[in-house]
Amino acid sequence: MTEKNSEVSTKSKTEVLGKITTKKKIFIGSILGILILIPGSVFFADNVNYYLHMLLYTFMFIALASSWNMIGGYTGYTSLGHTVFLAIGGYLSGIAYLKFGISPFITAPLAGLLSVAFGFFFGLISLRTSGASFIISSIAMVLLFKISLDHWDYGGGTGGMYLPFLKIPLEYSKIPFYYAMLLIAVGAVYMSYRVRHSKFGLGLRAISQDEIKAEAAGIPTKQYKILAFALSGFFVGVAGSMWGFYLTYLRPSIFLTILLGAHMVLMSVLGGKGTVSGPVVGAILFIGINEFFVTKLGSSELNIVATGVLLAVVLLFFPAGIVGSLKARGKLPEVLDWD
Amino acid sequence: MTDSTIIFQLLVIGVTIGGVYALMASGLTIIFGVMKIVNLAHAALMMIASFITYFAFTNYGLDPILSVIITIPVMYLVGVIVYKVFFGSLEKDARFGELTVLLTFSIALIIEGTLGYFFTNTLRTVSVPYSTSSFWIGDVFLPKGQLYATLLSIALIISLWAFLRYSKLGNAIRATMQNSTAAQVVGVNIEKASVVAFGIGIAMGGAAGSLTTYMFPFYPSKHWEWIGILLSLIVLGGMGSLAGSFVGAILLSVTATFVSHFFGPTWSVATFFLALFIILLFRPQGLFGKKMEVK
Repeated sequence: MTEKNSEVSTKSKTEVLGKITTKKKIFIGSILGILILIPGSVFFADNVNYYLHMLLYTFMFIALASSWNMIGGYTGYTSLGHTVFLAIGGYLSGIAYLKFGISPFITAPLAGLLSVAFGFFFGLISLRTSGASFIISSIAMVLLFKISLDHWDYGGGTGGMYLPFLKIPLEYSKIPFYYAMLLIAVGAVYMSYRVRHSKFGLGLRAISQDEIKAEAAGIPTKQYKILAFALSGFFVGVAGSMWGFYLTYLRPSIFLTILLGAHMVLMSVLGGKGTVSGPVVGAILFIGINEFFVTKLGSSELNIVATGVLLAVVLLFFPAGIVGSLKARGKLPEVLDWD
Repeated sequence: MTDSTIIFQLLVIGVTIGGVYALMASGLTIIFGVMKIVNLAHAALMMIASFITYFAFTNYGLDPILSVIITIPVMYLVGVIVYKVFFGSLEKDARFGELTVLLTFSIALIIEGTLGYFFTNTLRTVSVPYSTSSFWIGDVFLPKGQLYATLLSIALIISLWAFLRYSKLGNAIRATMQNSTAAQVVGVNIEKASVVAFGIGIAMGGAAGSLTTYMFPFYPSKHWEWIGILLSLIVLGGMGSLAGSFVGAILLSVTATFVSHFFGPTWSVATFFLALFIILLFRPQGLFGKKMEVK
């Protein structure tokens, strides 16, 4: 019996993992190579910092959207509360530095683990619900967290905390964060890819399609959902700890906005939720569109309108997102097909 | 003041605020009942009515309570338009999905941004004489503004109930709430029932938006706080139950008043969110609801 099972699992493993062709390897390798070399340009070009900023901002959102996708996309539980993990990471590293002098580059993984632990406990409660109630509970989580942080004197209350600049020359100051965010993005996408092609990921997708049938088929749906929710917090927490130091301040009103949570959803839905490359494509596209709106329209209020309109248009006309729609028509470039 | 007077006083304040909460929640719960979606734009739409009331008051001196005469029909129309634009083209099965919840979320963002762009996020409030004076019953005061608002709210909720109970269209809406497939089989036009229910729900929210202008300061992005409060009310009462939303509103409003008195006003909003978790944990179907199976 066990032999038979293992035979089946090895057989399906190659099928499930999909083929990583040389073309894909070259594509990923060259992109990563270029991204690793880009900061070198500070030595012979001016005004590189703006591009570094845009890139590291994009990396962060790739990590956030890919992480969100594990619960929102694969499992089908829309969370509008992932900013809470960002705040947990930011505050853990901020406090560790200000009160105990520990560098954020050391505490970042811890921030991820704390996020996972929080996700686990919160998931135990909120994942008893599904559908609309789950969305509601995730919004309530953000609001409750914001009120608590606003009144948490140790963490600075509404004013938050100011963090120091790194002690390196200004023109190089973005480089450590650039590599950190790149690493976080690669880690998050890799985790998303591995989950997608595992038995665990198959279970999650079964849950998103029909939870009752999945349960009947012997998938431990409760454990899987909670695990997916907790794991999806890891890289968001790590990104949060970097983000606080990059901004040089921590403030509840910056980390815990519903708009930020909405952005994670929008990026995944825009690119194609439930696919590996979707959130990546969505994040790149969204940051581009967002930057265009901010520079042309210049107002955060119009930015909110644009986010809303874009989300509505995508939901109404391309619910499968860019990657999903292209795949359905068989026009998805091979290098973007990681499912 | 003795302990019992304080408790009685807190009860009075809680109940008189609760009536307005119940009015807001009634619209949300009707929409949920018929369409099986949570309208996350409910409080944002309410905010539109607040601004109409505010400008009618500052420009023409129209009393905020009287402005309900304008905001109810206007918000009914807004509701119908929002429904036609955003939900009209959707397939029936898609309409009940999570997609639609996200769609209402995007509507909320559009409204928030538009209001914020034109009117900025400054705190506004309408000050009328009755918003600061009270009736006295012995040692207990009864804020006039809150009392009027609650009485009007209860009147509106009763008319809504009577409409659902006695009119033909109201019966069609109730039938759709109970079982939309069966309702369709017996000849109910569920599309029409949904549009009307959505419009009425938003109109109720509009009336509440008018009444809150002199009770609570408002600004466009405040609707997230409101929607959190409203959701906790209808989750406690049992989603889709009109009576439940009323009881939920009064219970939570009274609880929040007590929390505010004993722990400080900042924690009064937190009461609602915490209550939401506790209810979801122990009785997800709420006090009056059937077991919720929403996808």
